[in-house]
Amino acid sequence: MDVLERKKKIKLCADIALASAKNATTSWSIALISEAKKNDENEILVDNLLGPESRFKQQKIIRQMNSCHKRVRSKKILKKSCSISQRMKKMGPPKSNLAAYIAKRLVKKRTQVLQRLVPGGESMDEFSLIKEALDYILSLRVQVDVMRNLANATEVLNQSNSSNVFD
Amino acid sequence: MQHCPYTTMNIPGNTVVTSGTDVSVFERQQARMKWQQQQQEGLFNGNDHQFRGLVEVKPDPGLQYGWPDFSDGCQGQAIPSLMEDHNLKKRKAHEDQKQKVVLKENSVKEKKIKGCSEENSAETSSKEKPKAVEGPKQEYIHVRARRGQATDSHSLAERVRREKISERMKYLQDLVPGCNKITGKAGMLDEIINYVQSLQKQVEFLSMKLATLQPRLDFDIDSLIMKEMFEVPAVAYSAEVANSAYFQVNSLLEMGNNPIDAMLRRSIGGPVSIPETFVVSSCFNQMQPGVTWDGDLHNLYRMEIQQESSTIPFQPHKFTGLYEGSNLKMEL
Repeated sequence: MDVLERKKKIKLCADIALASAKNATTSWSIALISEAKKNDENEILVDNLLGPESRFKQQKIIRQMNSCHKRVRSKKILKKSCSISQRMKKMGPPKSNLAAYIAKRLVKKRTQVLQRLVPGGESMDEFSLIKEALDYILSLRVQVDVMRNLANATEVLNQSNSSNVFD
Repeated sequence: MQHCPYTTMNIPGNTVVTSGTDVSVFERQQARMKWQQQQQEGLFNGNDHQFRGLVEVKPDPGLQYGWPDFSDGCQGQAIPSLMEDHNLKKRKAHEDQKQKVVLKENSVKEKKIKGCSEENSAETSSKEKPKAVEGPKQEYIHVRARRGQATDSHSLAERVRREKISERMKYLQDLVPGCNKITGKAGMLDEIINYVQSLQKQVEFLSMKLATLQPRLDFDIDSLIMKEMFEVPAVAYSAEVANSAYFQVNSLLEMGNNPIDAMLRRSIGGPVSIPETFVVSSCFNQMQPGVTWDGDLHNLYRMEIQQESSTIPFQPHKFTGLYEGSNLKMEL
């Protein structure tokens, strides 16, 4: 197995450990696991890692999430069509308060980017997105620290091993 | 008017509280304080209970709260003691009217709040779903329109939403390093995006590093730590540190389940002080990517001592979650 594949597997396992530690309490963790499962080759590994008991819970939660995804998506489509038709009608008001309009635009763009970054963020409104992002940042930090310590520990171990070999 | 004991004050006795502009200064101030207190209480109880906390506190308005900022509201009126009696009576008399008004406001805003609660119930897990489903029946947000602001339901709901978002932004400010000076929403979001991206890239980099370090994927943590413990003392030092890191990760994950609560309880100290120092050290780490081991060791060792003094229950099942993540047994 070459390095890139190993790296992918390691990353996958780290992500799943991160998400499973949350025990399905946050929606980003659920989204992360469901994304990982979509890839066929990873699905078996994921199931093995999570254990058989979690499978039923996960399936239930995923089904619920799908239904709520559809609802949110249809709402968004409706909103978009309404806003487009409204925008066609009135072009005056946005230009009167230009600064606020630009600020709103910026915030919108950035929330879109954040939605793409946080797993499962597309189907969330602004308020819950920020809450999920908060949680996600915390967990990411933990993940980074654990991995860093692990890497350093293995480094030290390798060094001591090699020094033992030479002695 | 005989039935109004407060005619001596400059408040008309038959004020009907339909809009915020008619409400007296005292009422407004008290409502504001109450709203703030309720918000704080609600936040302390956690987000699920936020609305319930509001509902519970609402029925006893003036009787609980003292009058701390009386000098602000006085504006050269009668003696404080007199005011107190008058206001208490006025409170009781106005309660009925207030309830009606509140109900009216609620009925108008119900749709919006139900929308909020629907989203809330959708995002909470299946365990919390029964609570959230009962919630919508009681979840009425009691908002007072402040002086000089629009009072229709749309703007009120919007204001509530904006306040919630700004609260969340404050927590994010504490989390993301270097965000203390930025105040606007757009700038804050920018910082958050950068931080999340950098964290994700770090994860990628570290996984690559692990991939290069381990020639095989058979990654046995137990033997790693055991070996380190029994062999070189210098290495054992790092093993202790690695162990403590895992313990702290454990506690941090426990905290991480309620990050907002954990941050609120920071001032209480004790076991909660650990995530703070942990966070501090991790901030430190991120600033120096080529990290020196010594600084980390000192921080982590200090935290380990702190942790031993406080009693954090060790939950082995979560631990194994992490183990499983790193125990990659692949058959080639």
